[in-house]
Amino acid sequence: MKFAYFLSCINESMTREVDRSIESLKKDLDIVLFKLEKGACCGGSNLDYVSPEHFLVINGRNIALAEQMNLDLVTSCSTCLLTLRRAKQILDSSPDKRQFVNSFLANEGLSYTGSSDVKHLLWVITEDLGLSRLAEKVTTPLTGIRFAPFYGCHIIRPSQLLGRDNPASPSSLDLVVEALGGSLVEYPSKNKCCGFHTLLVAEKESLAMSGNAIESAIRAEADYIVTPCPLCHTALDAYQPKALEGRRVSRSIPVLHLSQIIGLALGHSREELGIDRHMIT
Amino acid sequence: MERREVSFRIQRYNPQVDQTPFYDNFKIAVEKGITILRVLNHIKEQLEPRLTFRAFCQAGICGSCAVRVNGISKLACTTQVWDELTGGGDDPILIEPLSNLPVIRDLLVDIDPVIEKLRQNQGWVVPSIPEEKMGFKEHAVSDDEFEVINAATDCILCGSCYSECSMMGVNPRYISPPVLLKTFRMNNDTRDTDGDERLRRVTADHGLWDCTHCYRCVEHCTKNIPIMDGIHRLREEAFERGMTGSEGARHAQAFFDDTRNTGRLREVTLPLRTKGVTGSFGMLPLALKMALKGRTPPLFVHRIAGIERIREIYRKLEK
Repeated sequence: MKFAYFLSCINESMTREVDRSIESLKKDLDIVLFKLEKGACCGGSNLDYVSPEHFLVINGRNIALAEQMNLDLVTSCSTCLLTLRRAKQILDSSPDKRQFVNSFLANEGLSYTGSSDVKHLLWVITEDLGLSRLAEKVTTPLTGIRFAPFYGCHIIRPSQLLGRDNPASPSSLDLVVEALGGSLVEYPSKNKCCGFHTLLVAEKESLAMSGNAIESAIRAEADYIVTPCPLCHTALDAYQPKALEGRRVSRSIPVLHLSQIIGLALGHSREELGIDRHMIT
Repeated sequence: MERREVSFRIQRYNPQVDQTPFYDNFKIAVEKGITILRVLNHIKEQLEPRLTFRAFCQAGICGSCAVRVNGISKLACTTQVWDELTGGGDDPILIEPLSNLPVIRDLLVDIDPVIEKLRQNQGWVVPSIPEEKMGFKEHAVSDDEFEVINAATDCILCGSCYSECSMMGVNPRYISPPVLLKTFRMNNDTRDTDGDERLRRVTADHGLWDCTHCYRCVEHCTKNIPIMDGIHRLREEAFERGMTGSEGARHAQAFFDDTRNTGRLREVTLPLRTKGVTGSFGMLPLALKMALKGRTPPLFVHRIAGIERIREIYRKLEK
């Protein structure tokens, strides 16, 4: 399986362990990822406020780079996923907008046609690889470990743009945990917001959101939270001590990336997967 | 006709009498096609006359019967029992009042906080025709002009988005999705003349830039209104009208600038550029702890291959 891989800014800075752990998995999972070195920041669902045209051209170009390689575009960040898919939906439904974007791409030999899909790594695991094939590859099942799956927002909502999981009761990440031999806890926060996107403009409120999620996972007696999004990871891990301030909880809870729980079940070490880099270990 | 016994678990609460909310269970034989509202009416008429809820049109138009069904805000009158069955139909269907609004009794919430926020944020058209000339001159809105706000005018103020909103859940003072939607609707009404003032109000603290874009409002809007598109448009409008002094606007500007400069977001200075020097001072302890784990963003990010192409795009777009 070959894909173009979109480089997310946060995975080159605060959550470098995501790309590192994916790197160590590629061989096991028989996935080839071609890094989109020329791809630019998706704008983190902020660029379009300053200029919707820039948002459309930059992300049309990002997808066109994958089209040039005849590959679908994969990302491991949910906000990159949403941003790229928003651009794709706009371009796929408007010949005028496609023409507008392509007028900026022509001298680079690029053209947006709509031929490449934009996917999350989680979807590649559940759809392209498949859960049964994933289960076959497990060497160190996560038996007895209780996970609280935290989906975050931009991989499930808006469903008309993402269209895999039911946002009221998402299940894809649960199924991955089960395929790896892990157990699940029931808790009320799996489809709630981590608060990441307002951490710098409304910190108190954002920390209340992440705190609610972390506290409910601890109360459900989970051993780990697992998330497919590095932004959720940052809100839940790096900000955890702050988010739990003043709450009556007995302990903290480590937060793992999707790629890391797969890595653990496939026999990779914590060092290899960068788990010791987390703030809560 | 398909028919089965269904259990309903309904939240009860009379704040004047009860210490805390509690649940009552009702088991009723229901035919396929029956709505949650008909079940509530049946319970009130036949089983428990004290059960309190609000309902009127029974056709998804008046917006008065919104409740949470299995945890999600919905109109009781357009939600079918059959669509809510889980666990092979054996699990009880949970019916609770909307979140983020005070409960008056049982499923009935006080909608006044929403109305008050609409009032504070001028949720009506301020026309160019002076008051005394009203009624003498027509101010027509063309089809094309109306199309921009068409979906937004479908809002029936049912309160579902208010109930689902992540930010409302942690900050009762937050402006809320229906008020932002109404602001978008009024600011894009060609008869309106007060967009500047209205936008100035909604960009204040606890306003427009505090939306986390969790998309819960859009996902659960009972009229399928793309509420986030309205919120996006208002943020664009803030830039168009030069209202760029807020933390939220500065944050967005940083993404715009970084994409041109290197093609990557320079996270290390993002707090500084969003919150200013004094504002980001409080983040130092966390930054130090992250540095010990090697999690601090690099001081200088690499330029993407062919950054010149991105800059070319920027230059062309700025013309």
